[in-house]
Amino acid sequence: MINQSQTLQNKTLRALLPGDALTGGGTEGGKKAALAEIDASCRVPVLFFFLSGLAWLLAGTILALVASIKLHTPGFLASWEWLTFSNVRTAHLNTVVYGFASQISVGVTIWLMCRLCRIPLVAPGLITVANLFYNLGVTVGVGGILIGDSTAIEWLEMPRYATPILFISYALIAVWTIVTFRLRAERHLYVSQWYLLAAVLWFPWLYGTAQVMLLIEPVRGVVQAAVNWWFAHNVLGLWFTPIGLASIYYFIPKVIGRPIHSYYLSVLGFWSLALFYNWNGMHHLVGGPLPAWMITVSIVASVMMLIPVITVAINHHFTMVGHFGKLKYSPTLRFMVFGAVSYTLASLQGVASAVRSISEVTHFTHHTIAHAHLGMYAFFTMVMFGAMYYILPRITQREWPSNGLISLHFWGVALGIVLYVVPMSIMGFIQGTMLNDAAVRFLDVVQFTLPWLKLRTLAGLLLAAGHVAFVINVGWLLVRMFEPYRKPVVSILTGEAETVAAAKLP
Amino acid sequence: MSVIAFILLGSVVLLPAAGLLALRWATSTGQFRCPDKAALLPFDEVEPVGMETDCILGGNRR
Amino acid sequence: MSYGPLLFLGILFTLATSWVGLVLLPHRQMGALGQHTDTNTAAIYPADRSGEAQQGAEHYRSLGCVYCHTQQIRPEGYGSDIERGWGRRRTVSRDYIHDKTVMLGTMRTGPDLTNIGERQADAAWHYRHLYNPQITSPGSIMPPHAFLFDVRTIGQAGRSTNALVLEGPFAPPAGQEVIPTRRAEQLVAYLRSLKSSGDLPEAPVKKEEAQ
Repeated sequence: MINQSQTLQNKTLRALLPGDALTGGGTEGGKKAALAEIDASCRVPVLFFFLSGLAWLLAGTILALVASIKLHTPGFLASWEWLTFSNVRTAHLNTVVYGFASQISVGVTIWLMCRLCRIPLVAPGLITVANLFYNLGVTVGVGGILIGDSTAIEWLEMPRYATPILFISYALIAVWTIVTFRLRAERHLYVSQWYLLAAVLWFPWLYGTAQVMLLIEPVRGVVQAAVNWWFAHNVLGLWFTPIGLASIYYFIPKVIGRPIHSYYLSVLGFWSLALFYNWNGMHHLVGGPLPAWMITVSIVASVMMLIPVITVAINHHFTMVGHFGKLKYSPTLRFMVFGAVSYTLASLQGVASAVRSISEVTHFTHHTIAHAHLGMYAFFTMVMFGAMYYILPRITQREWPSNGLISLHFWGVALGIVLYVVPMSIMGFIQGTMLNDAAVRFLDVVQFTLPWLKLRTLAGLLLAAGHVAFVINVGWLLVRMFEPYRKPVVSILTGEAETVAAAKLP
Repeated sequence: MSVIAFILLGSVVLLPAAGLLALRWATSTGQFRCPDKAALLPFDEVEPVGMETDCILGGNRR
Repeated sequence: MSYGPLLFLGILFTLATSWVGLVLLPHRQMGALGQHTDTNTAAIYPADRSGEAQQGAEHYRSLGCVYCHTQQIRPEGYGSDIERGWGRRRTVSRDYIHDKTVMLGTMRTGPDLTNIGERQADAAWHYRHLYNPQITSPGSIMPPHAFLFDVRTIGQAGRSTNALVLEGPFAPPAGQEVIPTRRAEQLVAYLRSLKSSGDLPEAPVKKEEAQ
């Protein structure tokens, strides 16, 4: 009975695999596919996720600018109810987190899994369906927020009628990842695969549980806050962070042509992250109406995060030592290194903010918002940009049309995010100090924040410029994809110097 | 309460069980032996160690 | 790496227990909280909310007020919540048992609202503030919520009793009056119900020294 179902399972799995990439018996250890073949098989599914993600990035950027302006100019677009600051801010968060960041994550995950498992992409239909459900879910969810159906639970604002659509998509992606893992030709796991498998399997469970406990059968009282921040922090720690780190661990070695400094350290970093990160959630509620022991546990876990963070920082640094000169030549490396350094800084800032004496000052201020953007943008988004710079030419088999746009993108967003995070962090700290002085009128604190909030809008414009530059380059790349290919395939993959075609490129 | 209890208690059992299975799989397939070899997994014959990729700025096109 | 498996074992076990610790246990600890009856005055705290105020809570949620306003008072000596007059004591779990969606908030772009019903008991203040925050709080960055009000021509019977009293640049054109909609009325009912200063065994209100 067992043998029958196993044979059936093997047959079904093999039927999913295109061509003759798998030979021999069993579902593991088949023939390893060539990199070019893998990249070609990934083209359409990964493009679907990247392009829809970038469309949401543009929408999210516009929403971000509107929200930023509304904070220092409250009369801006104030007559439309669907565009209140709360709606726009919420729509921005959900658009960039679920519409953009998560979809690029899935695209990168798909490509990395195929590359590291050494098989061409299996079950493209599954990915396509997942992508359709995904975009439908985000559209319905963000639309629901704008018409007033937001749940007002941070990071879970999409109404109940939208979230099952997203859940199905996440579940399909998890299934695809397991199938790919089972069919892999490379039997050994690289550290990136540990991170990706953990993220992709953990997230649907996390999402579903939070939905049930907060929206479908809501728990009573302040337990809602506990569940809310257990969820929201784990989205960062067990969905985005692992995918970001998985990317850094693959792309930095690939670009510089050297393996990571210590594989042992990288695995240690993974497990200590899994151990400590998911206890952090209650540090969002320091001083709040919850049992003190819960909050203390989260503060302790937050401090313990220094272990995986420093481990990862050491590993990345020693991998890069001696190769920093290559930052001049590789956009992927620039974004990855920027992201890796930001990961360390964001984590250190996070650990500091969790400690009671500092939280007393920074809680409820713009410092927290700055921290959120240091983590989600300066770390995660920059890493995703770097990944796209590597993956897109390889799946489309075309070179980036414009180096100028690449530089504009990098410098625009790098300067933009520094101009965002540094002033807002400082301002938030001062704001908190003023708030903690009862002699200072509240409205005076508000007045103090205004010039800094205007500076943030300026930073947002820089970020927007970078995004536009990137999207133009991507669009141009796609147009190129439909043109007859002008350079031999081998030049992208083996690095042989180009010949005639180079003169024609801008 | 019943749905929550089902989720909560079920997960407390399933998650560590899944983790233990993963651990057993990992040790039995030798994932933790030879960590230095594992570090070389991103590389292969076409893109070996020592070959830089993605050098597209600064006048290079590789 | 023979201790590797042992390390992984511990980590995996902790993955599940963290969730037990942060979700399951508090659920058991706080899920059974009920109202407290004062032995001296027989007052029940927290009091149930009126139907209008409960509707108002839904509007508070839908309008997203939580993104700029908190509803939690930190302990005395930690921050200056109590010194600012935002509450007479810290808030505790029992204060939130009636909230369908607990909206503790994470940003104080605007002041904390836990006890706004005590600080601003006058409904007229709330209507003017919602219509245009600059009326009551010049320099505020809270956006105007004019969409919560109707601007109508004053009828034969004269000004309505619930029309807002507005002056200067905020007044409507001559012959017009500003009337709160049902939504505004319910929201204000909710805001005026926000009082969390009941004496509780786990959070007693500091008694004032003899005056």
